[in-house]
Amino acid sequence: MNNALLELKNISYKYKNNLILNKVNLKINSGEKIALLGKSGSGKTTLISVLNGTIKPTEGEVKLFNKSYEELDRKQKRKITTIWQDLRLIEDLSAEQNVNCGLLAENNFYFAFKNLLNISSFKKAHEYMQLCRLHNSIYDKKIRKLSGGQKQRVAIARSLIQGSNILLADEPFNNLDPKLITTIKNLLLDNVDKNNSKKSPKTALVALHRLDLLNNFDKVIGIREGKIFFNIKRNNLKKFHLDKIY
Amino acid sequence: MNKLKLNYTSLSFLPILVCIPLGYQLINNIHLGGFKLFQEFLISAFNPKIDNEIIITVINRLNETILIGFFSWLVSISFGAIFGIISSNIFCKIFNIPNFFSRVIRFFLTIIRSIHEVVWGILLMQIYGINFSIGIIAICIPYIAVNSKVFAEQLETIDYKSFESINQINAPKFSSLLTLIWNPIINTFKNFGIYRLECSIRSTVILGLFGIGGIGTSIFLSFQALNFRELWTYLWSLAILIILSGIIFKKIKFNTTNKILSIFFIAVFFITILFSFSYFLYFIFNNNFENFNSVSSLLKSSSDLGLFDFLKLILETIILSLLSTGIAISLPPLVIGIFNNNSSKIFIKIFAFLLRLIPTPLILLTLLTFNNPSLSLAALTLGLHNAGITSKLLFTNLDNQDKRNYIAMKSLGISKKTSWLLGLFSQQAKSYLAYCTYRSDIIIRETAIVGVIGSVGLGWQLQESLSSFAWQEVTIVLIAYSSIAIVGELINGKIKNSLT
Ligand SMILES: Nc1ncnc2c1ncn2[C@@H]1O[C@H](COP(=O)(O)OP(=O)(O)O)[C@@H](O)[C@H]1O
Ligand SMILES: [Mg+2]
Repeated sequence: MNNALLELKNISYKYKNNLILNKVNLKINSGEKIALLGKSGSGKTTLISVLNGTIKPTEGEVKLFNKSYEELDRKQKRKITTIWQDLRLIEDLSAEQNVNCGLLAENNFYFAFKNLLNISSFKKAHEYMQLCRLHNSIYDKKIRKLSGGQKQRVAIARSLIQGSNILLADEPFNNLDPKLITTIKNLLLDNVDKNNSKKSPKTALVALHRLDLLNNFDKVIGIREGKIFFNIKRNNLKKFHLDKIY
Repeated sequence: MNKLKLNYTSLSFLPILVCIPLGYQLINNIHLGGFKLFQEFLISAFNPKIDNEIIITVINRLNETILIGFFSWLVSISFGAIFGIISSNIFCKIFNIPNFFSRVIRFFLTIIRSIHEVVWGILLMQIYGINFSIGIIAICIPYIAVNSKVFAEQLETIDYKSFESINQINAPKFSSLLTLIWNPIINTFKNFGIYRLECSIRSTVILGLFGIGGIGTSIFLSFQALNFRELWTYLWSLAILIILSGIIFKKIKFNTTNKILSIFFIAVFFITILFSFSYFLYFIFNNNFENFNSVSSLLKSSSDLGLFDFLKLILETIILSLLSTGIAISLPPLVIGIFNNNSSKIFIKIFAFLLRLIPTPLILLTLLTFNNPSLSLAALTLGLHNAGITSKLLFTNLDNQDKRNYIAMKSLGISKKTSWLLGLFSQQAKSYLAYCTYRSDIIIRETAIVGVIGSVGLGWQLQESLSSFAWQEVTIVLIAYSSIAIVGELINGKIKNSLT
């Protein structure tokens, strides 16, 4: 039996004659916390975009719960949430409205409407923003007025509030100062849904380029020029592994 | 030898050359029979009729105009938003509709837009007779199409990446759509929607000249009776209305964070949609198309319009558009540049305001008092009216511009006119020309209005064909008219792209 949640089989992605992903094979099993290491430009973001279905690979197969993306319904797709490197918040909406966008999936149209009119409940959004250490003075500020670190945490809160099982995070610690990084990392890698008593482990793939942040991960994947160079348990990570990708 | 360099500045002045053929024809057509009338018309401007009776009439007529204008604005802005959303790329992406669909809708809207509201009005009046709702419908048809284009353009500014991120949440599609389009739509309402109210009031006035009611009809009737003092009462009251509404709209600041206000606007939006849709159904089912049926047998009647005549009309319409555009482009910078002092500036501004205020048919009728009808006269009319509009823009931009270059040049002893040209205008020329290409789209459509009265081009033929119920001819003329407008828009689009 194949019990991988996410599986990439021989994925290649070409963009304007450049091979950006080169025959990538990858399995992500339930509960794994994986760090994705690689220099900037190595293909981390592209790999994450293939995993969440926003990029269709030129070659190869993407499987989510043993199905291709076309076979999945929206409910199943919701099991994946992404924190984008470029955040992709809606600049003209307030921080709390943006976080509430994460709840659009489990609510009806009326909720979306109320959210835009600022008359929906922001209780849950505020809880998650508090978890991300966002001060309540910025709750109703427009995204465009926030600092880089604040925006980063709004994006994280929006992603976490979705309550998905699988987290894909693309350099989520950018713009954060050291103390916050620890807090946010614990938040991302432990289960955060406070209403859920059974702490089911969350599966996570986090793109990083700082080696000192690896301690909470089970596995480490190294990518360079679109090729996976190693995919090992964190405990087995040796210097020569890193030499291959840096 | 000095070569003539074609830059944006010289390109802004070059079109004034249209005045050579234009002036030639105008001079040949001068007649002095109506000169006294013209004089009287001008003098009456300073001596409008004011008594209790006429003030009551003015108030009533203005009320009608405001009502027609307001309702057509409300309906056209609401449906414009809806069609704008449906024809936008973001809508197709979210609902996985092939792009082909939005292209078909856009094409359809382009055709509707290419025909001026006055033409729609004349057409509908011929079929349904005169009533208020015809006025509203006639304005709404092209306005919905124009508004939807603006909304769709604004929706194209939505970042594809934020679309992807919202799409990733896999929310119900309408929730995603609403969340993404919310701000662009609100901003378009704020920045563009309010300005459109003024447009629809102006359109109501013009339709009024063709009998739909309101102040326009009074203006026309008083002109017909050569009652110039009364005419100016109407014109000045219209001016007051436009100035007042401009001031009021500048004061109003819509606060979207005000919940009650937002809910009120959304309620109005939905009521408008529902109401106008049900009215539309009522209209369809309650009109037995009597007029239309009685003439439908004539549909088969062969057209008297020979191919040669027809081509001549098309050519006339194109020449009319070109001449008018030439005047609208070059006259404002020329006049502002030559009479570059403060007192002339005020005078020019007032004159430009009058040119904008007085509807084109009326300008033409006034000019007809001392000139025989001709293509040049129609072109002059259309050109002057639009020069009033382009000069307003030019004045605003020049006033807002950094004047350091200009002052520096003057202090070097360079003449005032040259400093103005090289230090001020040259920096505006490019964006001014870009705006003029947009204006030219409108001029092409407006050829129909002056055509009807000045007996030139397709506009005139349309009136002729309509009054003889020659529907086949009407169809042909409409197709030709809208083709010219669409081709013109394509060419202007290309020019505008090279300017920005
Ligand atoms: N939209 C794009 N346009 C041009 N180049 C791109 C685009 N997307 C990715 N690339 C190229 O693909 C390579 C991998 O990029 P990316 O996946 O963003 O790497 P990383 O996230 O590891 O920094 C880079 O060389 C980048 O230049
Ligand atoms: Mg990246």
